Amino acid sequence: MTSTTTSFTKFTFFTVAALVFQITGLSLFVFGFFPVKPALSGVSGWESFFAPGCHSVENQSQTQMEMGLSPYELKSLYQDLSLIPPLFDRLILMVIDGLPAEFVLGKDGQPPRKDLMDAMPYTHSLLSSGMAIGYHAKAAPPTVTMPRLKAMVSGAIGGFLDVAFNFNTQALLDDNLLGQFLRIGWKMVMLGDETWLKLFPGLFVRHDGVSSFFVKDTVQVDKNVSRHLENELSRDDWNLLVLHYLGLDHVGHIGGRSSSLMGPKLLEMDEVVKMIHLSTIQTHDNDRGRTLLVVVSDHGMTESGNHGGSSYEETDSLALFIGLKNQVSISHYASATHNSILQVDIAPTLALLYGVPIPKNNVGVLISGTFDCLTDHQQLRALELNSWQLYRLVEAQLPGLSCGDFSCSGFIDDLGSGSGECSGSMEKILRCLFMNAANLHNSWKYKKETGFESREDYRSTVTAYHEFLKTASEWLSRRVTDKPVPLLAFGVVAMALSCLIFLGLITCMSREVYTGEKQHLSGSSNSKIRWCLDEAFILGVVLILVMSMGSSSMVEEEQYIWNFVISTLYLLLLRKAVQSHSGRSGSALFLKAQNKRSDFQLCAIFLLLISGRILRGWHQGGVNWTHLPDISKWLEQAGSNLIRSIQLTSGLLMMGLGLFALFLFVTNTKLVRVVALFFLISGFLVLWHIMEYQDNEFVSSDYHATLLAQIIYATLGVGTIGFVVALPWLMPIQISSTYSKHKINSSTLVSVDIQYKFPLLEFRDSSYLIGLAYMLCWCLLQLLLQQPINSMPIFLLLMQIFTSMLYYSSSGPQNKEWLEVALLYYVGMAGHFALGNSNTLATIDVAGAFIGLSSHSTLLSGILMFIITYTSPMLVLLSMVMYISVKDTSYLAIPQSVDLEQFLKMMLGFPCLVPLGLNSILLTAYTVVLLLMRNHLFVWSVFSPKYLYVCTTTVCIYIGVFVVAATEIYIYMVIAFRSKIQVSISNGIL
Amino acid sequence: MLEPSGREPAVQNHGTEPTHGGRDEGKEKKQKKSSIAKASNAENSSQSLSALQVFSIHMICGLGLAIALWMAHNLYSINVISDPSCTLRLIWVSLSLSLDFVVLFFLYEFVCSPSSDCRESNRHTSLQLVSTQSSTVLVLESCGRGILALPVGALVNALGAIVLGAPVGIEYLPKTINWSLLMSSFMFVPAASVFGSSSSHWQRIFAHTKPNESLEYMICIPAHGALIGAWFGAWPMPLDWERPWQDWPICVTYGAITGYLVAMVVSLGFALVHGGRQHLKRD
Repeated sequence: MTSTTTSFTKFTFFTVAALVFQITGLSLFVFGFFPVKPALSGVSGWESFFAPGCHSVENQSQTQMEMGLSPYELKSLYQDLSLIPPLFDRLILMVIDGLPAEFVLGKDGQPPRKDLMDAMPYTHSLLSSGMAIGYHAKAAPPTVTMPRLKAMVSGAIGGFLDVAFNFNTQALLDDNLLGQFLRIGWKMVMLGDETWLKLFPGLFVRHDGVSSFFVKDTVQVDKNVSRHLENELSRDDWNLLVLHYLGLDHVGHIGGRSSSLMGPKLLEMDEVVKMIHLSTIQTHDNDRGRTLLVVVSDHGMTESGNHGGSSYEETDSLALFIGLKNQVSISHYASATHNSILQVDIAPTLALLYGVPIPKNNVGVLISGTFDCLTDHQQLRALELNSWQLYRLVEAQLPGLSCGDFSCSGFIDDLGSGSGECSGSMEKILRCLFMNAANLHNSWKYKKETGFESREDYRSTVTAYHEFLKTASEWLSRRVTDKPVPLLAFGVVAMALSCLIFLGLITCMSREVYTGEKQHLSGSSNSKIRWCLDEAFILGVVLILVMSMGSSSMVEEEQYIWNFVISTLYLLLLRKAVQSHSGRSGSALFLKAQNKRSDFQLCAIFLLLISGRILRGWHQGGVNWTHLPDISKWLEQAGSNLIRSIQLTSGLLMMGLGLFALFLFVTNTKLVRVVALFFLISGFLVLWHIMEYQDNEFVSSDYHATLLAQIIYATLGVGTIGFVVALPWLMPIQISSTYSKHKINSSTLVSVDIQYKFPLLEFRDSSYLIGLAYMLCWCLLQLLLQQPINSMPIFLLLMQIFTSMLYYSSSGPQNKEWLEVALLYYVGMAGHFALGNSNTLATIDVAGAFIGLSSHSTLLSGILMFIITYTSPMLVLLSMVMYISVKDTSYLAIPQSVDLEQFLKMMLGFPCLVPLGLNSILLTAYTVVLLLMRNHLFVWSVFSPKYLYVCTTTVCIYIGVFVVAATEIYIYMVIAFRSKIQVSISNGIL
Repeated sequence: MLEPSGREPAVQNHGTEPTHGGRDEGKEKKQKKSSIAKASNAENSSQSLSALQVFSIHMICGLGLAIALWMAHNLYSINVISDPSCTLRLIWVSLSLSLDFVVLFFLYEFVCSPSSDCRESNRHTSLQLVSTQSSTVLVLESCGRGILALPVGALVNALGAIVLGAPVGIEYLPKTINWSLLMSSFMFVPAASVFGSSSSHWQRIFAHTKPNESLEYMICIPAHGALIGAWFGAWPMPLDWERPWQDWPICVTYGAITGYLVAMVVSLGFALVHGGRQHLKRD
């Protein structure tokens, strides 16, 4: 070993160290950047009915005092203090999961489509008669159920990581409406999505939770809610009834917005509204108290029925108040449907309507239209309470705000008329606006006492309050929290360090390889110059990617970049192949061989280009141009039969391709036959599953389908692991014969090398077979899990990878290894988008994550979701096992007397380091971008989801690289062990 | 690793009869080239186009572009944004006409007269003594080759654009066709009218990017400029600025034209530097 080469152990050590740095840095950054709870601790008590600033000292004693009060006493205390008589005694909160407000209220002043109007006749009659008032409640991203429920009941916009916890629901510990209701002794009943039970464990006196687990069930899930409804409505022992209907969301997930099931589902919801309205609200039953029905949806849905992102379709959720006895009768239909609010506004509105303190972290503003039946005095009081609460929250974030600017007894009229212009820093503006409003209110009160109040004063007070509320609310929701700077800085530094280590390792590695290569091919010294273009471009791609991450639309439309970049790379490789084509058909054997090779390369590249373009056209993808036609839309229009036949065709093609690849490998036919047989069996199992169960999408949650899917999982899993374990042992080693042959033929110098090189052939064969088994099993699994429309892209991806393998095997030292590995990595990323993924959370395929699960398991469905989403990068990483065997690296091994470890390093170095290195560059760069963009308008809707994707890609790369490294090391050790034994045996015989 | 251009003479001196090339010129070229190439090379470099000629040729091409744009703007009152297909058609027609003009007059006057030397005459060294009539035929033929190369190159360009992500669809078809014809007249028409079907020249210019003298520089640099310009021109397309010029193929066309114009200036610069060096050499 020369002094320049670093040992395998050292390499491994550095790699692991870099990994540890990266993981530490990443987790520090994530937990610093995405606050889990950007919240004030504690619960709003009766101090919220006093002006802020003067009770801070007494707070502790007050809460202690409250502890001693019974719920009933507390309720009356609140009533006395709030000065607003509760308008209602009971609340029915009906959550329709995923209902876009557009379906009920229309869009842009237009009433909804005719069929949607007809589907909800009763609701529309309520709206047009002024019995109900509806709002477009804009939900904050991420538009996923749990964060939205939290926002509705607490009024706070949660941290972004709530999405990550969406599958592991945890109790809501912040101050929220339900907690406030509990404190005043309400009895609550919950029917519907069990997320509520997880958010509020032990809060409900009666509940019937349904799981959102069976995504394909659209009927039973709602029947389970409605079956209790009649009973519950007739009882009077509850104050809050939560109904959470999941069916509509499931309909969306299955068939999108325009699903044929949508109309009946809306009709069903309308029936529920009608039933509630007729039985409780319209009958003014005095002993049960007055009831308010609030129909809300947690989020909307895109055209295809997904949600999670921040498009208008997804954030357009509904808030419908039924039973408000509006004095100003809103008979005009349009005015009852046009208003637009924020989803968080629901929390303070309900709190004020029911006379409980507004939750502490609320950033919402009360909805003005809902208080119309109160007196002027009460309305102003409601605004005042909301302002106080927001002022407290602002105060907690801007410590400079308080400082005893106003006394407790009353506000000093130090701002004169109270309508001064507000400018300066945010603190000043907010304080000024608040003082304005408070002063106007005081003067109005004073005038009212003296009997001089005018409508004008009232109106200006309301305007002033609204101005403050709006400004404060916007400011608060924009500024979710302070970022802990040291934590973030440390995280970024650690990631950058690991990135540098990776790059250093790659440079070191390529220098070693390159020197070795130069010794081997000492003839052509100017080769370095000729390879510059594609190598420079592949490095330029990294730069392009890093730069494009800074632009929100480039992040949204990332699929274009990948396709553009890999196509350009292929074209450059095409150019290179043409270069090496000698142009003349010389008779020299060498020329002929070379021409043949470059012809083959040209064909391979053309195939790659064409399949890449088809993959690109399969899903339009992205955010801005999703409506444009693409192959998948076209096929979906053509009907499900066509899709199914395409699915079957691509399954068969995949099996054919697999068999072809298997029998390309001819060294040992017996082993190959076993692998082929296994592969055929599992392939036909998957096809059987497709034929039997995938066409009828409504009953596929039945027992047999699940069982079959489980059998397939087991077969594939056991088969793959079995192959990995057994193949290196079964692979025959013909050491003695070849050894002796070589001994005869070659000099002693070579035969020393041969001893080390010996397991090479067997090593390659095992790697090839195992890599093939990995890839085929992975593709079969995807055929089962992915949406039917995606089966053809998976086949095309597999074909692309095989073609690349063939191309690489023919390219020899023409392309550097790191270039090819990097290209494979890029192909994987392009494939990721070709399968319909994007950088919004909406495109994650939730429905597939429950195939073959018989009971709800967060972990398992999460794993399945990961498998579905990261199909393509993982496939590419698994193909590295095959790549190692395919790439002709013999020219590396010949010159030095290669150490065994050195050999392993040469084999594993690039396929493991290049993905890790590329990913670490992208991760670090994107982390910096996210930091720079933290105040960008789209930080929560575009950049943060992308960051989650980047983090998950990192995890995917870790897993893939680990699998590759572990497999290769295992194969290597087994083969080396066996060859050692054989050598010693043959020596013994000799 | 392997250097075909470096190996070229050796292989040909090996004495193999060229087996391909249907036309007589092709054969002739091969044979003659192998024997004369080296001898004429030294002479070649000293007798390539002067900077003034390069300038006027580029000027004519630029004028062709400018006239097309002027006509589009003033006569038809369209531009690339409002009617991409028509404008593109206007541009490529005008450009190919001016290229043909260049071939007819300049190549006739400078290239194919016996005293002058360029790739064209170099390839037909044996014809140098043939009368001007047959050189007229040659020039006409090279015009014909250029016209023939227009659709063929357009096909190549269209395929390349589609592979790189250009939209496929009936409504995009005329735009794609016209755009690729424009690109073809930027890239392939000049090369085809000069090199014909000589694959080694094509390979040297487009695969290796190793032009030898000013005429080849004049062909190679603008072609690559247009290509690179078009490549960069595609980058604004995915941005969500919602400007009309972001559509296919408008900004790509802008990029290509810009690249072409810049490359013409660069090529002129090359010619100046080259010429200056030659003068020095000659002295």
